[in-house]
Order: sequence, then C-alpha cells, then structure tokens
Amino acid sequence: MDKIQERVLEATIADTDVGQGKQEHIPPPTNSKNNPAKPSLYNMTATAEIAMLKPSGNDAVEAKMKTSSSTWAKSSNKLEYLFYKTLLTILYMIYACVRYAKYQYNRTKIQILNLAYSPSNTPQLIRQDVLKFQKLPKRLATILEFKSEGDVGGGLGGLINDGSELVTWSISAGIKHLTLYDYDGHLKKNVDEFRKGIHHKLSKYYGPSNVPKFAIRIPQWNKVYFNLPGTAPSDPDSKKVALEVSLLSNRDGRETIVDLTKTMADLCVNNEMKLSDITMKLVDSELTQLVGPEPDLLLYFGPSLDLQGFPPWHIRLTEFYWEEDNDQVTYSVFIRGLKSYSTCKINVGK
Amino acid sequence: MNMKGDSDDLMTENGNLTPNWKEPLKSDVPKMSALTDWEGLQKYMHYQRTRIWRSFLAIFYINWIISTVQNLMLDILMMGPLPRHVSFIMDGNRRYAKSLGQPIKYGHESGALTLMKIVTMCKKLGIKTVSVYAFSIENFNRPPDEVNTLTSLLAEKLNYVAERAIDVKSNLYGLRLRVVGERSMISKELNDKITNVERMTDEGEDIVLYICFPYTSRNDIFHAIYDSVEKCKYHALPASSLDVSKISSEMFFDSSSDKCDLVIRTSGRTRLSDFMLWQVHENGIIEFSETLWPDFSFWEFFVIILKWSFFTCLQTKELTGFSLRKNALGFAKQHLWLHRFEPVVLEELPDPPEMVSIIDRS
Repeated sequence: MDKIQERVLEATIADTDVGQGKQEHIPPPTNSKNNPAKPSLYNMTATAEIAMLKPSGNDAVEAKMKTSSSTWAKSSNKLEYLFYKTLLTILYMIYACVRYAKYQYNRTKIQILNLAYSPSNTPQLIRQDVLKFQKLPKRLATILEFKSEGDVGGGLGGLINDGSELVTWSISAGIKHLTLYDYDGHLKKNVDEFRKGIHHKLSKYYGPSNVPKFAIRIPQWNKVYFNLPGTAPSDPDSKKVALEVSLLSNRDGRETIVDLTKTMADLCVNNEMKLSDITMKLVDSELTQLVGPEPDLLLYFGPSLDLQGFPPWHIRLTEFYWEEDNDQVTYSVFIRGLKSYSTCKINVGK
Repeated sequence: MNMKGDSDDLMTENGNLTPNWKEPLKSDVPKMSALTDWEGLQKYMHYQRTRIWRSFLAIFYINWIISTVQNLMLDILMMGPLPRHVSFIMDGNRRYAKSLGQPIKYGHESGALTLMKIVTMCKKLGIKTVSVYAFSIENFNRPPDEVNTLTSLLAEKLNYVAERAIDVKSNLYGLRLRVVGERSMISKELNDKITNVERMTDEGEDIVLYICFPYTSRNDIFHAIYDSVEKCKYHALPASSLDVSKISSEMFFDSSSDKCDLVIRTSGRTRLSDFMLWQVHENGIIEFSETLWPDFSFWEFFVIILKWSFFTCLQTKELTGFSLRKNALGFAKQHLWLHRFEPVVLEELPDPPEMVSIIDRS
C-alpha cells in the first residue's frame, strides 16, 4: 500500500507549518509556564483568590445555591458556602506548604545527583555507566522544550545544545535510535544549525579528527540528512552511521492520523481500495512508516510528566521517565532513566 | 467465598465509604520470615498491616468517625474545580492476592470493591465521567481460568451496580453504566447481559462509568479511523471535512473521547499499557502510584484530586489573568468615585495670557 503513504506524505510535506501558530499548547495544570510547584507567596495568594471567588465545580452545589426560596435559607446557604470555601482555601494552603517542602527536598536531591553523575566530556565514562545495566532501550525518545530567550539555556541555542548533548550521550551509550520531539518543531526548521551543533558537541567528546557519523531523519518531510551540511554525500562510508536521530513535532501526532484517515477515505470513495483492506496491521505499518517506530523509553526533562502531544499511536508500551521538579536536560536524568528501564519488567497482558 | 454475602456487607449503604470487612483472611497466610529476606518481610508486613487495619475498622464507632470525616473532606473538596474525566488503570490485584496468600480471585474481588468505593467518591464530588481499564485485549493471553474468573466477576458486578444505580436510596443512584471496547470478542450471552444492564441504567445523568472490557487504545483509534472512512464511503461525508474532532467523536467515550484530565495508574509501573493514548497525550495529567489497586485508599485519591484542583486554580489565574486587587480597584473606581474620562475640546478652554517675547523687545 505504497499509494497511501505517498498521498499522506504529499499532505504533510506541503504543510511547512510544523504546528506553531496553529494553536498554542496549553500545558496540564502541573506544568504551567512558570513552574507552579516552585515555592512562592504569589502562587499561594493566587490560589486563595481563585478558590474563594470562582464558583464551585460541582453542579449540585450550584443548584442548591439557586433553588433555596426563603431569604433565611438563602443567607444560611451563603454562610455555609463561605464556610466550605474557607476550609477549601485552608486545605490548599496546607497542601502548598507540603508541596513546597517536597520541592526543596527534590531540588537538593537533583543537585546531589548532578554532582555524582557527570560525564565531563568523556565517552568512556558514559560507556562505563551503561555497562552496569542488564538491558538498554533499542529506541529512545525525549521531549525537549523551547524555553524563552531570556532564560538560562533558553532560545534556539539552548534547544540545539540540549538536543546535541542528548545525541552525544546516546552515541556514547551505544543507543542506535533517538527521537527528539519538540512541540513547535524548532529543531526541524533549523536542521542545519542543529547538525552543526551536534558536530561541534561530538568533536568535543571524540576529538575533531574522528567524529562519529550520524543521520537525521525528518519524517514529516520525508528527508534524511547525513553529518555536517556541505560534506560530500557520495562517500559510501558516510552512510554507516552510529546513530539515527529523528525529529518530530506536534504535526506528527493527531494530525498525521487525520491525514491518513482522509487519504484512505479518498481511496475508498474512488474504489481504489476496499474498506476491508483497512486493518489494524495496515494502520500500524503506515504510521510506523510515516512517523517512525514506537520508542521503548521516553525521557522527559520537565518538572512533572507532560506528553505535550507526542504521537499517541507511538506510546503504547513506552516506559516514561522523568525526575520530579527537575527543569534541565542533565546527564543524571538521562542515565537514571536508562537505569530504571534496565530494571523494568514488561509483560504484555500477562 | 460467598460473593453475594460479601458485597452486601461491604458496600456503602449509609454514606459510608469504608468497606466493612466481616470475613477474616484465611488459608495460607504469610509467615514471619528471616530478617534477611526483604521481600518475604515486606509481604509479611503488608499482611499484618491489612489485618490490623481491618480489625480496627470493625469497631463500630471508629468506622462511623472515619466515614464522617471523609464525607466532610469531600464536601470541602467539591467546592473547588474538578476534573471532568478521570480514568483508572487498576493494576496490582494479583500481587495483592499473592502477598496475602489468597487465591487470585480474591485479589480481583477486592479490586472491584475498591472501584466501587472510588466511584462513590467521584459521584459525591461531582466528577462526570469515570473510565476504568478492566480488561485489555492482550489479557486474553492469560490462563483461561483467570479469564473466566474475570468475565464472571464482571457479569456479577454489573448486575450489582445496576441494581444500585436505579435504587433511589443507594448512593450510586443516577449512575450510567457503559461497557466499551471490542465487544465482539466476548460471548453472546455476556453481550446480551451487558446490553440489558446498559439499558437499565440509561436514565442516569449524574455520572457515567465506562468499563473498558476488552479494550485497547490502539483498537479504539483504529475503530475511529475505520468508522470515519466508512462514513465517507457510504454516508457521503466529504473526506476533506475530516478533522481531529470528527475522529474523536467516533471513539468509545462519547463526548469525553477527546480528553481525559487525569489518568491514575496504580502499582508502580510507569507506562500507559495501551490505555487512553489519544485522550491523555495532549495535556492530561498522569499519576503513577506505588500502591496496589485494592490498597488504593480514600486519602490517596483525595490527595491526587486536591493536587489537581490546587494546580488548576493556579492555572486559571495564569490563563485568565483574574486579579482580586485589579477587580476591586476597578469596581471602586467605577462605582465609588464618579471619575470618568471625558473628551476635551481645545476651543472650550479659557484663553491663555498674552504672549510676550523677550528677544523681539531688543
């Protein structure tokens, strides 16, 4: 069924807009822009305000407030409402205090771990760390975040730095497939700079004379790039790569599934395909071709797990790893993720 | 084990959320092991904890006090924002049974009880949709004995829940039951029974309970794709009009198919295992808990919801920019001081004094 794939690719390639601007990503409540778990008095007062002033989420409460007839019942109802709202606010404040204490604990833990695990630009150390594990994921995926320009490690430069660091660690650990996902597809759009960034980082670890080879695949536009921009692709050795990186964005998620559906609908309507040809197997193989295979381990470097629209078909059995309250791409999270994967047990259905 | 007697005693007739265990644990219970055997020790501790807690709850007053406190806490919590769609991956029933030295069936039964407790909580809070992963398509790979146990347990529990759901006195009244998934894989007999039960509770409006049996999320997505294509072919729906919301609406969870606010997975695994992929991958929260499902307690769920509601308040503030100070000031300005900005006409101002230049004088 190559026809389907071609047609879907036509649609996705034509869509140079990789998701940005179409809709702003609204993160889950625990992952708002300013880390909400960070202790701050402002957060506490803000929560108290909203808790007191916003109407309740429960319909029964609202109905009760409206239906009471006599003035006496009304005012006693209001009093009760106020009483419970106050208790709720107190509950929130208690929760906030506990959470903030936990935040401090988590941050200290992360600081100590960062000291303990440091690759210090040496691939041997990374390989040594990995050798202790019983198994490694065949395919690793990570979700990266574009931080605002003003922040430390923010902007495009920061994103490319994080991405190329992950590439270097993966190569050193011996992983063959790496998927980098960022919601707006900044890496996709700036693939040349990213290639330079990777090359730069790799030459720091391996020395400029024998930089490992890598390939970058962009499934949305069906393109593959090898090594640095401008190097001769005719060299047969340049295609023997140590690592294949694929770059995904929000466009590869739900929208690709919609495109696939549209294409199959078109083909069915024009009788180029039978309805009974559409099977689970076909859908799976098409999506694997169009987006890539399912990763074994998904690393997230934010404060609490947020999948940000990572292709839904591809997280079926994927293990997730993230470090609570962490907000940086660091080696300690990377290696601890691999460690947790090495001990996990997978038994499909049994 | 006498299933019927069990459930009548256990369930929550008078607003009581804590199951009242009458039957003591029997058969081969774990023995105290050597101090060096960590796993055996853990098992033993779990058993002892469960046993002591149950005998504690058996005292009438204790039970009453606890359930009163719990109801009060729920009354408070429902004043805040609440998730609309919560779903559970009920993992750990078998490990629970094993650690208490009971047959596997016992674990599944305790799991079903925990589910009833949690659904009662959700209903009281005012959460509109609850979905649970009861049985995966992959679970057919399990030993046939266990598959049969699970299937018959489902049938039993369905009747039990449906009776409560149409009984005005019960605290599950107003519940609507739906069994979703690849229903063609289960026997016709059971299918008829399910359809019957679904019809019985069709009137329920307060809360919808989706029991996913046998279900996988990929199967759900695949069905949505297939049905959309079918609609294009036979119902003249133009293919170009397909979009995310059209495909979502073909999925099993009716109007909640697009989003799940909160997925809770118990017993420590950090993956989704083919559940709620489409619903949670955009901006849902996934909570992983170390507890085994039958041990999943009121307080644990309470804290998860409290956390959700706390952070949602904060996000509401961030998204709407609602501010008490600004609102109050604006209100005061508008209503207390009659200060309004009016356009000024230059010509209406009084004439300025005479212009005199110093330079011109010399």
